[in-house]
Order: sequence, then C-alpha cells, then structure tokens
Amino acid sequence: MLELDAITMRFGGLTALHAMSLSVAEGETLGLVGPNGAGKTTLFNVISGVYAPSGGTIRFGGQDVGALPQWKRARVGIGRTFQIPQPMRELTVRENLRVAQRFGAGKEDPAALDEILDLLGLAHKQHADAATSLALTEQKALEVGKALAVRPRLLMLDEVLGGLEMATKRTFARTLETVRARFGLTMVIIEHDIETIKALCPRVVVLNFGQLIADGTPEAVFNDPQVIRSYTGDTPA
Amino acid sequence: MKHRMVVLVALVLAYGAVPLLLGSMDYVMSLIIAALTIGGVALAWALLGNLGGLVSFGHAAFFGVGAYTSAILVVDHHWPVLLAMVAGGVGAAVASVATMPALRLRGPYFALAILAYGHIFRILAVEATSLTGGAAGMLSIPGFPTLLGINLASKTGAYALILTIVLLFAWLYGLIRRSTYGLALRAMHDSELATRVVGVPSTHLKAAMLVISAFMTGVVGAFNAHQINFLDPEYAFASSWTVLPIAAAIFGGYRTVWGPVLGALVVFLVDQLVFKELMPSGHQLVFGVLLGGMVILGPHGLLPLLGRWSKKEASHAGA
Ligand SMILES: Nc1ncnc2c1ncn2[C@@H]1O[C@H](COP(=O)(O)OP(=O)(O)O)[C@@H](O)[C@H]1O
Ligand SMILES: [Mg+2]
Repeated sequence: MLELDAITMRFGGLTALHAMSLSVAEGETLGLVGPNGAGKTTLFNVISGVYAPSGGTIRFGGQDVGALPQWKRARVGIGRTFQIPQPMRELTVRENLRVAQRFGAGKEDPAALDEILDLLGLAHKQHADAATSLALTEQKALEVGKALAVRPRLLMLDEVLGGLEMATKRTFARTLETVRARFGLTMVIIEHDIETIKALCPRVVVLNFGQLIADGTPEAVFNDPQVIRSYTGDTPA
Repeated sequence: MKHRMVVLVALVLAYGAVPLLLGSMDYVMSLIIAALTIGGVALAWALLGNLGGLVSFGHAAFFGVGAYTSAILVVDHHWPVLLAMVAGGVGAAVASVATMPALRLRGPYFALAILAYGHIFRILAVEATSLTGGAAGMLSIPGFPTLLGINLASKTGAYALILTIVLLFAWLYGLIRRSTYGLALRAMHDSELATRVVGVPSTHLKAAMLVISAFMTGVVGAFNAHQINFLDPEYAFASSWTVLPIAAAIFGGYRTVWGPVLGALVVFLVDQLVFKELMPSGHQLVFGVLLGGMVILGPHGLLPLLGRWSKKEASHAGA
C-alpha cells in the first residue's frame, strides 16, 4: 500500500533521511522506533506532504503521490497525527472533526462523527473549545479523531501515546486497536514504549540517523545488538 | 428568537423609519448613502481579513474596476444599469485573479503587493483612453432605473438600493461564515498545518474569499458610479476607497459581520455631521484620534465592545 523508495530529506547541511526505502502492506500495523532525532517525524512529514523530499519516490495505493500537495494527500487517504497536538484553534472539538470530514473525506456525515467521538471518548467534550479546554489525553484523542474523520486508509500516529500515564496508555492502545479493526486501517505508529509496540505491532522498523537499521518482529528487533547500540548512543561508522 | 426580533426591528427602521424621517433631507440622505457605500466596501474588506486572513490595501482597485466596468457597459453597450452593476462585480472579481500570485506572500508583503496592483489599475484607466476617457473621465453616466414603482435614482431610492446591496452581502457573508468553509477559514489563520493535513486547500479558500470580496467591492463601486453619474481615475481609484473602509471595519470590529457597516455609519456620519461642523478644516484629525482611541479601548472594535457592555448591563439588571 505504501512504498518508499530511496527517500532522502536534507535540511541545509543536515540529512534527516538517508536514501530510505520501506514498504508497508495493506492492513499491516507497523511500529516505527528509534532514538530522538532519528528522523521519524520527518518521515511522516515527507509522506503526508509537509515537506517535499530532496530525493526518492513515494507511492501510495499504487499511485505516485510525491507531487501531490499536502491537502490532496489527505484526500487520497493518508491520515496522520502530530507529535505536538495541533487542534484547529477557535473551533470546538466537533467542528474540528467536521472540517476534517468535509474536506478530507469529501462530505459531511454526522453519524460517522458521532461514532468517532464515541470511540475516542470525546462525545461529552464535543462542544468544548478544542484549543483551550482539553486534557492531554483528550488532545491526543482529538488528534486521532481528526485523522479518522478524513476516512484514511493509512493512519500514521506520531507519539500519540507519548506522555500518558501507564494505565491511560494501555486504555488508549486498546482504543487504537478497536479503531484499526473498525475502519480496516493500515497503521504506522511511532512510539517509544517497547511494551506498547509489542502489544500493537506485529512488525517493527528501527530508524537511526535517517537510516533503517532493523526490520522484523518486535522480539527479533529489540534483541538486535545494533538496535541496542543505537539506543545507547553509538554513532554509525 | 430574540435575535430574530432585533433583525426585524432593524429592518423596519432601516427601510421604513429612515426614509420617512430623513427622506426629505437630501444632504443627510446623501451622507447616509455615502456611509453605506463605505460600509459595503468595509464589509467586503473585513470578509477577506476575517475569513481569508488577508489584509488588503488594494480595495480601491476593485472599487474602481467595478465602477468602470459598469459605466462602460451602460454608456457604450447600453446594458441595463442593475445588470451592469453585477457585471461590475464580476469585472472586479476577474481583476482580483490578477492579484492572486500575491496570495503566496504573507502578512505585510501581501498588503504591499496588492497596493501596487491598485496603482496599476489606476494607470490602466488613465492610459486606456478610448475605453475609459482617460484622465478626463466619463461624464453623464446613466443613473438607476425605476424598479417596482420605486425611482431608484431618487435619494430615497438610492438609499434603499445600497441598503439592499449591503444587506445581501452581509447575509452572504454570514452564510459563508457558518458553513464548514467558514469553519476551515477561521481555523486556518492560527492552525494552517492542522487544516491542510485534513485536506483543506487553504490557498484555494483564501483565493475564493479574495474573489468574493472583490466582487462585492466592485458592485459597490458600480453603485457609486451610477449614483454620482461621473468617473475619473483619480476619483474611482482614490486611496480613500481603501483607507476609509479599513478605518470603518477596524472601528466597528472587523471580525464581526455587522461591525464594519456600523463602523462606517458611525465614523462617517459623526465625522461629517458633528466634527466637520465644529472644525471645518482638520476634522479628519478628530477621526484619527477616535480610531486610535478605539484601538486602545476596544481593540476588537465597537460591536464587540457594545456586546460586552450590554452583557454587563444585563447581569447588573439581573442582580
Ligand atoms: N524543519 C526542520 N528544519 C531543520 N531540521 C529539522 C527540521 N525537522 C527536523 N529536523 C532535524 O531532522 C532530524 C530528525 O528530526 P525528527 O524527524 O523530528 O526526529 P524524531 O522524530 O525521530 O525524533 C533532527 O536532527 C532534527 O533537528
Ligand atoms: Mg518526532
């Protein structure tokens, strides 16, 4: 469903992604891990069209989406969340979802919004101001809600569980699993907590200094000596 | 319900009481018409500012293009005036397309670019002599027709016409603002990334607001041409067609639908009827001070300020 071929992303002199290739199959839930600054968020930004890569191709559902502007990526079915929640200011929670649905999915469907709000536990806050009246967990839920409202086929979650307490995190992870099954999603999840990754993702890839250094089951990947070294701060030769 | 009542009373006053009480005073009616003309442009300007997030210093260009388009269609091609006025709006909308490359620019750069466009259109009007009469301008532009037994060329008729135009525009503005387009536009200023990532084509939406705003301004410009029956480039593209509406919109509250219209009425009428009487020269100074004071006292404008006061009053009364 998603095929990245030799994606390079440079910011001035810094190469955040280094000729990176990756493919994600339909229906797969992929964990994306790696130390801070490895390039994980940059990868999401390139896939969702926030940045145009310096090189490489991005195919989604068989189509080359590399030239599509950001707003069109949403319309072809790429949904994502931001590491730092980005509510639409001045709007309520429900209005946030309405905008996402109207423009991302193409038409308004109040019943579908009700379902999303229910699944994410936001129904009671739907008329609250999105930018000022949500607790952290609710802000994260709204991030997921907006991405779901565009009716994505691929959902990319950037540390959506980060900063949550353990118990909340577990509940949220279960919600994500429910959402995935309900909407038949392909998912890529950036997450630091190994237990959470193990619970959600049958396959994990590890990014370090903009390069993939491991790809496999959580058990195999987290026991890989190179992966362990990357977390203890070694630079590649 | 209460809102409906307010609207109804305002409509009765505007269409009934004003012409009945002031209809015989030509000078006052002229001032009210002029105030509504500025109010119409102020509303259009504020729509672009509030929904599009764009500050324009170039609305005089749309005003002038609308005025000329309509005048030329009527004088040279014998179009009916009211239809030509709509065409004037379309002309201004088309002209706004020429300014679209500037949409990529942000903040003051957009404002400056559109200011430059304004001058280009004025120069075109001077140079295209065969079409526009050049610097000498156009004289004896036909006035408004009689419609449904109302002579729109009379002061009262012209008043009813510009009032109707402004009300229609305000209604359209409200409609856009309440739609999902309006929601997306409101969210765009502070949260452009958040809106784009869910599929909002923000540049297209801004462009659409520019076109609508230009259309409205063009219609008002056309109204003005047929009301005063005369045009020249200095007048039609005068920077006051940009500056006065901006002042009115900011004074009244540019993020509200009615603020700009209210602002135009208050600012213009108070300036002309009170300050100009008191100090025939330099009354604009008072106007400047008034605007400055407003920005300091109520940076959101008069209408939001009144809203706050009336809420306070209500809570005092309730206590
Ligand atoms: N817009 C940008 N401009 C310059 N450098 C950037 C930008 N975005 C990310 N980077 C750099 O790219 C590298 C990867 O960042 P990021 O993708 O955010 O890492 P991660 O999400 O894995 O923690 C970092 O060195 C970061 O400073
Ligand atoms: Mg990151």
